Amino acid sequence: MEVERADGRTPNQRRPVVCTRGVLHRAHGSASWAQGGTKVIAAVYGPKAGTKKNENPEKACIEVIWKPKTGQSGKPEREYEMVLKKTLQSICLLNVHPNTTTSIIIQVVNDDGALLPCAINAACSALVDAGIPLKHLAAAICCCMAESGHILLDPSKLEEQNMKAFIYLVFPNSIISVLPEGSLKPGASELGIITSVTHGVMAVDDYFSCLKLGRAAAAELSDFIRNSLKLKAGNDPSKAG
Amino acid sequence: MEASSSKFVDQLVVPGDVILDLSNLSNQTLKLGGGLRQDGDSICVMKAGKLRFMKPNKYWVESSQKRYVPSAGDNVLGVVVDTKPENFLVDIKGPAIAFLPVLSFEGGTRRNIPKFEVGTLLYVRVVSANTGMNPELSCMDANGKAAEYGILKDGYMFESSTGLSRALLSSPPHPVLEGLGKKLSFEIAVGINGRFWVNASQSSTVILVGNAIQKSESLSMVQQKIYLEKLLKSIQ
Repeated sequence: MEVERADGRTPNQRRPVVCTRGVLHRAHGSASWAQGGTKVIAAVYGPKAGTKKNENPEKACIEVIWKPKTGQSGKPEREYEMVLKKTLQSICLLNVHPNTTTSIIIQVVNDDGALLPCAINAACSALVDAGIPLKHLAAAICCCMAESGHILLDPSKLEEQNMKAFIYLVFPNSIISVLPEGSLKPGASELGIITSVTHGVMAVDDYFSCLKLGRAAAAELSDFIRNSLKLKAGNDPSKAG
Repeated sequence: MEASSSKFVDQLVVPGDVILDLSNLSNQTLKLGGGLRQDGDSICVMKAGKLRFMKPNKYWVESSQKRYVPSAGDNVLGVVVDTKPENFLVDIKGPAIAFLPVLSFEGGTRRNIPKFEVGTLLYVRVVSANTGMNPELSCMDANGKAAEYGILKDGYMFESSTGLSRALLSSPPHPVLEGLGKKLSFEIAVGINGRFWVNASQSSTVILVGNAIQKSESLSMVQQKIYLEKLLKSIQ
């Protein structure tokens, strides 16, 4: 039974993605990421010398500041900052520049559903633009479940509000490798997961189906990220080499 | 023994890509440049960019950023931010502030320590840059001579990216730089850390050269030639 979505998408279809890097002149790295109506700009400053008081000086420190579209920053913003910080800490290589701080500032331009995944994608692109050493990239996606049991990918704000539960999933990107397929260690990046944030109640089986759907969508997203990097490199032979 | 180079050479690589499997290679040493790291038996990519290979055994990822990763032997443009009894603290656009010992000048003794104000622009050489330590600079070359190092007076410093700096220092010379050099007379110092300094008898020349170079970064080779022709015609 096909579900009718307001904008005519199929249940497994993501909204069109637009990603631009280097949008801010003063920031060391920046990216703007738009998924349908949701748009986020991320700016990266760093690595700068010195870490905060309680942080380990043997590692680099990541600091996230979330700026909402309107109003003051409150508890929801703190939660987003914490999730983003933990996600980015697991993709950055923290021992390359010890005793430094990298600041990531997220500015919400428009919120039309799946805001946190959009911000994670923007932050990851901004980190690549700034040249921060990374273990791998992150591809974030939102899956939600309706009362009727249908799973929808990349909901808009209206759809999100009517759902029983929704999950934000972040997967590592798909890599090109010279290693033969069989030699990948169990739990290697092809099958890994970085972050999973759930809101609402859903059955375990439904969670696993969302995971499967999300993983496929993340693979498409990581191809998109790779191609968008290629385009930029291709146009400026004097820039990216 | 010839190394079979990675099949991803000269292609775009993205953080996480595995470019070499060490268990398959014969017994040889590899030199890894920027953007690559060793993860057990495989060489993985840390930064997005083009993978480059130079015979017999050097691999690196070429990319262009606004910030600089210090490495020994580079010539950079630094700005003095503080003076201490033993060192000048110099900003070179890296993760940590760099130290320039007060005696690292030709004929430098405790009696003739140069007085640099905060904000002074210097052309210096990076002597050492180790992880976790502040980079060390020097105003002398490897033989102890002053060479071209030292304070850069007058003129104006422009910020660029590390990619543009490399293009300006490459041979064959950068087309816009070469073209401008044939018509105008100016002095230029390029630091590999994404800064360059231009000086000329007239400020209008300094502005013209600086803006032309900064603009040429986003143009392709063909577009650069066209831009240069238009520019030279307009200054006749």
